[in-house]
Amino acid sequence: MHSIITRLAALRSLARPLALTFGGVVALSLGIAYLLAYSYRVVALPPIFHYMMLQFLPLWVRGLMSLAIGCVLLGLGIWRLSGVVVIQLDARSTTGEMVLGYTRATAPPQIAVISGGAGLLIPASLGRAVARMTCIIPVQDPVEYYYRASSLFSFTNVVFVAPTIEPIPVLLTLDDGSVHDVAENISHREDLAARHVVDVALARPPTPVPTAVLTALRGADVIILGPGSLFESIIPTLAIPEVREALAARRARTIYICSLMTEPGMTHGFGVADHIRQFRQFAGFAPDYVLVNAQRIEPEVQRIYAAANQSPVTLSPEEYEETVVPAMERVTMRDVMVEGSIVVEADVASSVVQLTASLDRPGESRTVRVLRHDPDKLIAAVQEIIRRG
Amino acid sequence: MAELLVLFEDEAAGRFVPLSYTRPLYDMRCGVFTLRERVALLSGSEPAGICRAHLAAVHGAGRWPLGLLASGAPLVLVNGRALDLAWLPALRAAPPNTVFVTDAGGVEIMLGARLTPALASAIFAALLEQQGAAALHELRRFARVVNVATTVLTNPWDLIVANGAQIVSDVAVWREHGLWPSAAEQRPTHDGVVLRAPERIHIHPAARLDGPLVLDARDGPIVIDAAHIEPFSVISGPCAIGPGTIVASARIRGETTLGPVCRIGGEVEASIVQGYSNKHHDGFLGHAYLGEWVNIGAMTTNSDLKNTYGTIRVALGGAGQVDSGVMKLGCFLADHVKLGIGVHLNGGAMIGTGSNIFGVHFAPKTIPPFTWGGEVFREYRIDAMVDVARRVMARRKQTLSAPLEAILREVFVMTRGDRARLAADARPVVSLESGG
Repeated sequence: MHSIITRLAALRSLARPLALTFGGVVALSLGIAYLLAYSYRVVALPPIFHYMMLQFLPLWVRGLMSLAIGCVLLGLGIWRLSGVVVIQLDARSTTGEMVLGYTRATAPPQIAVISGGAGLLIPASLGRAVARMTCIIPVQDPVEYYYRASSLFSFTNVVFVAPTIEPIPVLLTLDDGSVHDVAENISHREDLAARHVVDVALARPPTPVPTAVLTALRGADVIILGPGSLFESIIPTLAIPEVREALAARRARTIYICSLMTEPGMTHGFGVADHIRQFRQFAGFAPDYVLVNAQRIEPEVQRIYAAANQSPVTLSPEEYEETVVPAMERVTMRDVMVEGSIVVEADVASSVVQLTASLDRPGESRTVRVLRHDPDKLIAAVQEIIRRG
Repeated sequence: MAELLVLFEDEAAGRFVPLSYTRPLYDMRCGVFTLRERVALLSGSEPAGICRAHLAAVHGAGRWPLGLLASGAPLVLVNGRALDLAWLPALRAAPPNTVFVTDAGGVEIMLGARLTPALASAIFAALLEQQGAAALHELRRFARVVNVATTVLTNPWDLIVANGAQIVSDVAVWREHGLWPSAAEQRPTHDGVVLRAPERIHIHPAARLDGPLVLDARDGPIVIDAAHIEPFSVISGPCAIGPGTIVASARIRGETTLGPVCRIGGEVEASIVQGYSNKHHDGFLGHAYLGEWVNIGAMTTNSDLKNTYGTIRVALGGAGQVDSGVMKLGCFLADHVKLGIGVHLNGGAMIGTGSNIFGVHFAPKTIPPFTWGGEVFREYRIDAMVDVARRVMARRKQTLSAPLEAILREVFVMTRGDRARLAADARPVVSLESGG
């Protein structure tokens, strides 16, 4: 009974027009009936009309029959009508748009991502909007970590691929000449906090790169670099010659999602231009687009990061080469050219409260306010760039 | 860390349609078991599966099974076309990044592989799209390649041709993994049961055998699960009868597998019934494959030998009529096929999923999925077909779950083109070459 009521309730917006229509039909029927009755009296109709009009039946039987048939047809008609989707013509959104449906104008893009850590999971959520997304993990990481983490989400069309069949340690040379394995967690060493990386090398020659990686880079419509640690997650992959060759043969636009904060011991003191220059130095190209956070960072958050020798990666006016006016309606972004890349400033971050605990003292936990790439904002910004075509 | 066994489909899945529209190759019965059951018996654990996307929710590890690579342990991949698994222990003992290849009709295919997650990630996308050749091409760059001589499925009739030998092989393996004692070791107490070669007959303790009947295992083993064999039945080995099945005074000739919960009467020879299907009445079924939820009316019979003793042609998905090279071959009935009474089927007849054929003496040799009729064929409305399927399954206390229904509806959509020419092409065809 509930389902019947629910279905019929779909007609509520049609109640008045239907009532008017029924009234019209009744009036028409009466008119036809009067005219027929008049015709019977003044015109000699052929005998067939005697049977067509059921005149062999008593008048009250004809009346009841017509009422019964009318009720059945009316009920059937209303029931069928209630199965049809009814949308009010004035059901407009506040933007004045009414979208009844859409078809995709072009084929969904293929995307390749070079990133690592938790940052790699952010673009992976774009999977449902793409034909295929190949996430290339850092050369030193086990691929199963990413599959384990991603199995907590409902990603589709996303695969994670290791750029080499066996993990390879990555060696970073700092500006003081010291060499460190990236696994040493340099960014947590106080003595190296003011240093930055000047060279990146793989600890041993890489094995051949899987075809899945090379075809993803060559065939992608868009290559996303990041979000993630520049020298842990992105540059080491670009240190593989086969990867660099595949990138050179790319037809894709490249989008680098710039870090929100500098990393102690790795990108200390780096601005946006410094980050872009690392691509030029280690990969031989500058990304087509660089997405930089433009959101104001709260002083409290800034203080916390400053205590950890980190500062926001922002665009300073002296780095501008020229200003680019994008051909788009949205006004949340403004573009400038830096080191050959179009830098897009957008609100892509949110400060979140994070609970931290120490392995040494697991009972002692504390909450800190940290800045993170906001997945929704970041995806929206990336999609905006993809839409630019 | 325990390794994960993963069954996968390759390009051959398309050659098995319509049989494989609703089931991956590794869930098709050949011998006593499906490949999934065989691997589970050997390994003691349930394997995962990678199959076509529309089947993945029911028969695989999900539409996008990222969790398969979440473990750091090596993955052991097994091709869904594999039959005998004598090579599997060697693969499981092989060092990581080893691939076993075998010849399948002149083409080398990936039979199985033991891979680290990193190498598995390199072919994961290819496996999700059943691109076995591409995966093997990639593995040859990185993995140790071992050639293995074994039998694999290449065409639908291979299921029939291999069935007898596979029953023998499966029984031998099952004996090593806890099969019930033979009738020679534990004499059945049922009255009127004549046993020939009782040392090769294995009967489940809960089986119900109502004599008089004959179990003749002189040509191969007989395995009877918790089934009911009615009087006047004659069963010849090699033969396997699944749990819950009723053999209704039937003549079951050698090389026959009856899956679980079937009703089988008349004469059956060298055939496979996947399970939950009925051929309860008289009529001959020879060298045939029946999917699940098939119903065959009384006196419906299939031919499995041409009067010319020539080889039989079969319609293969996307390849048209192909000469099987096999002299004795019956019909292939996909899941949910219903045949009325007195229907005669040609050798090599292929009737698609969910078709309902009745009121015709000779059915056409090839009938697309979801076809309704006899003298005139038309599309079987999917809602009506699903309603029937729901009623049929309820009789066996099974539920047409939402994912199963989704498979049927998806297959209906993907085979719409096959039915487009029904009116023009699917006239009843009488083959003068068909014999008994």
